[in-house]
Amino acid sequence: MHENQHHHPAPDFTPEHRTGILPSDAPLAVPFVPFQRDNPPQYSPEDGLPRGTIFPGLDLPWQNTVNRSQPAAGTPLGEIMALEFALYDLALYLDTHQHDTHAIEMAEHYMSLLHTARKHYVEQHGPLSHDEAIRDGKYTWLQDPWPWEYQERRG
Amino acid sequence: MFRYEKKLQYPVNIKNPNPALAKFIISQYGGPDGELGASLRYLSQRYSMPYPELRGLLTDIGVEELGHMELVATIVHQLTRNMTVEEVKRAGLEPYFVDHTAGVYTQFASGTPWTAATFAVKGDVIADLTEDLAAEQKARVTYDNILRLSDDPDVNNVIRFLREREVIHFQRFGEAIELARERMDRRNIYAVNPAFDRV
Repeated sequence: MHENQHHHPAPDFTPEHRTGILPSDAPLAVPFVPFQRDNPPQYSPEDGLPRGTIFPGLDLPWQNTVNRSQPAAGTPLGEIMALEFALYDLALYLDTHQHDTHAIEMAEHYMSLLHTARKHYVEQHGPLSHDEAIRDGKYTWLQDPWPWEYQERRG
Repeated sequence: MFRYEKKLQYPVNIKNPNPALAKFIISQYGGPDGELGASLRYLSQRYSMPYPELRGLLTDIGVEELGHMELVATIVHQLTRNMTVEEVKRAGLEPYFVDHTAGVYTQFASGTPWTAATFAVKGDVIADLTEDLAAEQKARVTYDNILRLSDDPDVNNVIRFLREREVIHFQRFGEAIELARERMDRRNIYAVNPAFDRV
């Protein structure tokens, strides 16, 4: 087995973190997926990105084989990817759990870390979006690498 | 509107080019259960969604799928980078190569071009969200099958990420059905289509 993966089911956080809630008055002839409970346990952004979710209760890997790390771990871009991913997974969660104050607090915390990380990244490595693409009177958008290009070590 | 972020959602860095893997991974770009169809399905269905949670969720998952299209295209591009004609022949990639050289085209693994017939927009809340549940399961199985066929750790690292996203999306669409049901006629949710009927 490759060093970058391992055979490992999702860890236990709380007894109910892998179970959800069904409606008490479920009618016939409608599909039901159990609702994820509020304030579910979360992985850190760095642990969540390689696993594809920040929610241990929804971490259901094929053959219980999971990524130990992601290829940009430990690089400036890797940090930004992890934070943005955690925020996106939280956003989908909040779309269906908009009143979960704990999730809102986590999102605010990650936004603040992301703001700092992006600022440092753009200063050193170039723009990630058009509103960061002019620097010292120069248009920096076109500089390599583009995201799809193979890099010996990206970040 | 949409703005480009000059980075991937998940890093892709494939050390060893291998056109033979690209031959079937292309299916998650423009295949029957691929990311192009996924993004267009959700971004098109959202216009007839009557409730804010559903509009938000379909927008957000649809946009994420656009990012997944880019991830799959990047895998195909890196697997076919710098390939020679000899490597094309050895991989059995001649049919693709003759039509697209080393370009990345939206097609099934079988060679059929991507078609909008792979998804539906029914304009009905429960019907569309039920289709979305099935779509996520089919994409999940396609990634399972890719993991069965590929032994490249750099490729599989990304595929495992993409596969888990299908599980998350399935969960959220399921929750979306329950949120919709709570606002509909509790005695008969099929009495009307809230996206069309004025009641």
